[in-house]
Amino acid sequence: MNLVEALEILKQATPEDTHPLRTFLACGFTPLHLQTFLVAHLRERLPQQRFEVKTGLFGDVAGSIERLPSAGCDILAVVIEWQDLDPRLGIRNLGGWRAADLPDIVRSASLAAARLEEALRRSSAFVPISVCMPTLPLPPLFTTPTRQASSYELQLRQLVASFATAISSESSIRVLNTQRLDELSPLHARLDVQSDLMAGFPYKLPHASAIAELLAALIQNPTPKKGLITDLDDTLWAGILGEVGTEGISWDLDQHTHEHGLYQQFLGSLASAGVLIAVASKNDPALVEKAFERKDLILSKANVYPFEVHWSRKSESVQRILKTWNIGPEAVVFIDDSPMEVAEVKTAFPEIECIVFPNDDYQAIWDLLKRMRDLFGKNAISEEDSIRLKSIRGAGALRESRDGAGASLDDFLQAADASIRFTFGKQAADTRAFELINKTNQFNLNGKRLTDAAWKNYLNDPEAFVMTANYEDKFGPLGKISVLLGRIRGKSIRVESWVMSCRAFSRRIEHQTLKQLFEKFDAEEICFDYQATPRNGPLQEFFAQLLGAPLPAELCFSRAAFSEKSPSLFHRVEEAVNG
Amino acid sequence: MDEMETRLVRCFSSVFPDLAAEQIRTASMETVPAWDSLAAVTLVAVLQEEFGLQINLMDLPELVSFVAVQNYVRKHDTGS
Repeated sequence: MNLVEALEILKQATPEDTHPLRTFLACGFTPLHLQTFLVAHLRERLPQQRFEVKTGLFGDVAGSIERLPSAGCDILAVVIEWQDLDPRLGIRNLGGWRAADLPDIVRSASLAAARLEEALRRSSAFVPISVCMPTLPLPPLFTTPTRQASSYELQLRQLVASFATAISSESSIRVLNTQRLDELSPLHARLDVQSDLMAGFPYKLPHASAIAELLAALIQNPTPKKGLITDLDDTLWAGILGEVGTEGISWDLDQHTHEHGLYQQFLGSLASAGVLIAVASKNDPALVEKAFERKDLILSKANVYPFEVHWSRKSESVQRILKTWNIGPEAVVFIDDSPMEVAEVKTAFPEIECIVFPNDDYQAIWDLLKRMRDLFGKNAISEEDSIRLKSIRGAGALRESRDGAGASLDDFLQAADASIRFTFGKQAADTRAFELINKTNQFNLNGKRLTDAAWKNYLNDPEAFVMTANYEDKFGPLGKISVLLGRIRGKSIRVESWVMSCRAFSRRIEHQTLKQLFEKFDAEEICFDYQATPRNGPLQEFFAQLLGAPLPAELCFSRAAFSEKSPSLFHRVEEAVNG
Repeated sequence: MDEMETRLVRCFSSVFPDLAAEQIRTASMETVPAWDSLAAVTLVAVLQEEFGLQINLMDLPELVSFVAVQNYVRKHDTGS
């Protein structure tokens, strides 16, 4: 994006009725074009959103962060440059580059980094933060020739790396990846000496745009994809299984098919991070079964579920896989070496990200792996990520058991040996609860999404409570599957948000949740901020069954009415406070 | 209006979105309240980008009106 394009984006009208996202850009230089690019990139990513941007004091990035009042902004973007650690590391200051000054520069940079770290940690309690570490070349102040790294220079780089490592462990702080920035903006094309000296803005325009682009992406934090459907022949491995047999397929350096090994290794990595992997292959099921018994296969069979192996259309396989996973096509990536198969699936499911596997193009494999990391990458791996596949397999077993036994639902649920742990507590680090609220569609009270800042404000509100539920039965654990946000007013409870993972349907967890809510707060009535959405049919059905009537505009249940309508519940219930 | 003038008007319009094309041609620091030092630096950046020029910020005091900017660009534009 160039500056004219950025200014044109800023000229476009934004919806007046939306609450603006208050963005604070903290940097030690004149924000000038960086501010323009940041807002333009944010608006490009979030066109329905208005942004109000404030900036801090020139030369005082740490002070700007320290003075930020709690609830003073919704987004904090911090851009640190070397001169923020010590002014002598910039070119606008003439404080001395004598050899004798170098130890002191390192010392003072270390103190400045510690102050910044403390300020960022404190602010992260109330606002999500995106941080860009120094990007400009260090000036030639060291006594070694520029081809040789000075010990002092290395110490400075080490302290910045330590600083970045320390803050990256905070769940509300995201650190911009300098490797990605290096790809977009070469080091030699970053510093604008004239602009720095004359206007206090040190960046060349393309560099400012590159930083802003990555910061905007960090701030937006797009929802990662959840599942990957892969082909087998000439994709997961090289060779056509039906022609060369199980010993003829390969994925190694010796046979020049190593790219397929890399792909398998990458899929194993995704699976270990909770991404669902399924196979859709036109193949002989018995042969595929045998191929997956090969001990040298890098992607374990245990990481793949389900297998759709037959000769029908791929789109039919995809349809069944989506049903088994119970997720929407927009959350899925499909990979196949055949452009025709990819086109067939894309036609049936336009929302699916469809990718042709690049056979015999080594550079393209590298690019594919990077692209997939961007599609599936997440801030942290949760406990739920590690049990997702197991719980989906369990749900499949549960369906088969229920459908095949011929017993009543009551009998079935009684035999499921289910337990639910309810937690009443507000933990900022509970990223799973925040994630559930923002990604659940079907059992969702009103479709309301929360920004990082709104979530933090909610947690800091003494009148509000958060109730979460963890579920487990004999088919396996489902992890944290429900989040309910509300407020208590005497004997009445107002529920403002309520979501439940679709993996947890048909177990009466929603009934148990309301029962516990009545009991926990000794409430006589629960009212809901209910809103019908195009996708919350399962929630509407639940309420309609409880009411035995169409849903009214103001949705409330008395304790007596709920008790009368609620079916038998067989869960063992535990309660935990603050997890 | 020649092509260079059209591009120049577009640059001014990016920096001063409230000005109509006719107002842009008569614009000066005195007549446009939004033309402050920040806008001047932004205008220079946009001109550098559009015309591939390397404008010395020491020349800023010269660039006080649309006509002055037009003359400056004509003098320094090498056709890139």
